[in-house]
Parts: sequence; structure tokens; C-alpha cells
Amino acid sequence: MSTSARYVYAISRGLRPGPLEVRGIHGAEVEVVRHLDLDAVVSDVDLAEFGEEPLRENLEQLSWLEDVVRDHDRVVQAVAQVGPTAPLRLATVFLDDDGMRARLFEWRFALEQVLDRVTGRHEWSVKVVLPPAPAPAGVGPGAATHAGDAQAAAGGADYLRRKKESLAGRVAAEERGAELGRAVHQALAGRAAASRLLPPQDPRLSGHTGTMVHNGAYLVADDEHEAFVERLRELTAQHPDVVVDVGGPWPPYSFAMLEQR
Amino acid sequence: MSESTGVPAARPYSGAVGGRPQPASLADVLERVLDKGIIIAGDIRVNLLDIELLTIKIRLLVVSVDKAQEMGIDWWRNDPMLTSQENDLAEENRALRERVRALESGGGPATEDEGRGRAHDEAGADDERRPSRADGGGR
Repeated sequence: MSTSARYVYAISRGLRPGPLEVRGIHGAEVEVVRHLDLDAVVSDVDLAEFGEEPLRENLEQLSWLEDVVRDHDRVVQAVAQVGPTAPLRLATVFLDDDGMRARLFEWRFALEQVLDRVTGRHEWSVKVVLPPAPAPAGVGPGAATHAGDAQAAAGGADYLRRKKESLAGRVAAEERGAELGRAVHQALAGRAAASRLLPPQDPRLSGHTGTMVHNGAYLVADDEHEAFVERLRELTAQHPDVVVDVGGPWPPYSFAMLEQR
Repeated sequence: MSESTGVPAARPYSGAVGGRPQPASLADVLERVLDKGIIIAGDIRVNLLDIELLTIKIRLLVVSVDKAQEMGIDWWRNDPMLTSQENDLAEENRALRERVRALESGGGPATEDEGRGRAHDEAGADDERRPSRADGGGR
């Protein structure tokens, strides 16, 4: 049994066969392997790391996962700069090129369809974050350590009243946030070839403060992207109190799905 | 790409509209890559559910950190899945908080037992960069 295997990052079309400039997983050389009309972007990986058992264990290691995810993403992004790109799911590994070719043959029509759909288009990410409302003195998460003082100073009833007001304010802010999220999505989806709503990100992972009221992915034609960003600017100007975070152009990760399974 | 005129050749960016670009956060990269992409079964059968379970596990673990700390639960500290960096940061924060307390009380005897070793360590060469890190990490 050979010790190395073939890791496939993405399928593309019309690339120049041979090595690519970008480096792959753990710095491996990345090459383009053509089969039929499809270009597979691949590199060697070690079976001691990507074999069934080690892979299962490695996926549970956040630092290993982060490295591989970033390497994978870097290659896919590089491919998306030069051709239509259908990213493959992380850790798609074949024992050799023959195995990979057999699978490409099996899925050739569906893969062609995906490439047709994403050609000339890229993915954009738009997140809207509502900053935390300033909490009245004595209530709110930031004031937890002073709660005792506030209670002693202002009396229990007063404290409870303010706490209730703060809660009502938070509910109103959440409703407003949800409404804003819907409005943004509606406005942007009209400029996109396709769109997807994603779950709000965890603040501990993303580092944002406040409430993420919208997290959307948009497949935007390359010649539409300026209009898309312009629309986004208008929306941002209309709502100066929220933080609008835009990312792109990215490979169409959220829009690369096979029609038949 | 024949229609690439609209897309800048520069590397993709992320940031507030009109704002400065920033490196992709771990959340962004995981979100973009992890549960996405075409599934064609390779020769190495990885249970994709594992990956999804992992992300859920990350989210659950990470979201509950504050709560867990409030309740005095810290089993997650020993979960090998969480990077050692995170443990180091938490450790560092605790050490810094102790030190602040010691400084505020004029180096009172309360922290002497536990604090001596740490205070010694922290008076070292990297003393200057620590306060700024405390701003970012300490809450």
C-alpha cells in the first residue's frame, strides 16, 4: 500500500495542466490533472495523516483542522482567480489518480452543471451586526459585578424596574434587527444570481460584539459586483448604527452543490 | 475568466464596507469551507457527519465558555480539542487579574503565596507587551 494519496481541492475547467503556483496542504505542490473536460486540482497527502483512522482523529483537533481548512481555502481561492471553480468538500481523498478519474467520469454531467452555474460569478458574504445597546447602570451583562452596589444604592424595586426596561429595550432591538436583516437580504438577493441565508456566527469564534442579525451568501455575476457593493453602501448609509461586514469575491463555496445525489 | 473586468485581481477582502481589510477569522474560514463544497465520495471514507458534529461541538463548547466559568465549571479546559493557546490565554488572564489585584492593594499579602512565582515570571523581558494583550483578552 502506497503511503501517499491524492487530495482533490476543486474541479475547474480550462486551466493549464501542470503545477500551480499556490502551495497546498502542508506546503505540498499543487497540480492540475485533466480528465474529460474537467480539471481536477490535486496534491499529494500522506496516508498516515489522511487515511481513514488518522483522518477521523485529526478532524477532532481544532489546530490541525484550522491548518487544513486554511490550506484548502488558499488553493480553492487561487483556482477561483483563474477559472470557474467547484470546490470539493474538505478532505476528498483518493488512493491514486485512477480512482479520482473514475469518480469524475461518474459525476461528469453534474460537475459540468455546477461549473456552468458558477462561471463568471463569485460568492459574496454579507453580515449585519447590531451593536450592543448601552445598558442602563446596574443592569446588563457588563455590570454583573456592580449589581450588588446598585441594588444597595437604589433599592430593589428601582433595580427591578430598570432591569425590566432594559429587557423590553432588548426585545425591541432584536425585532428591529430581524427586520433590518430581512430588508438587507431582500435588497441584495435582487442583485444576485442566487442567495443563501446562513446561521449567525458565534461571537466567540468571530470576535464581533453585538447581535449578528443577518448572515447571507450571495452568488454575484462578476460584471454585477460593483452594483452589488453599491447597493450595500446605500443600505449601510441608511443604517449608520449597524456594522455591515462584506467579504468577497470568494469561490462559490455555498453554491457548489450537485443536482443529483 | 472572460468577464473578469469587474473583479479585482487583488486578493479577496473582508471588512466593513469602505473599511480596512482584515485577515479572515477562524469563524469565517470554518464557515466558508467546513460544511460546504461538493460531496463526491473519495476512496478514503470520512464520515462527513464527524465534521458537522465537530463544528457543532466547537460552537457549543465555545458559546458556553462564559456560562461555564460563571458556574465554576472548567472541564472544557482539559478538552484536547480546544487549542492550548486558548488555555494559555485564560491562564494569562487569570495571572494578570491576580497581579492587578496585588498592585491595587499595594502588593498586599493576599497574593503572596500563589503570586510570588508568577509575579517573578511576569517581571521578565516580555513585561511590556502584556498589558496590551490584557486589553484584548481580558473581560
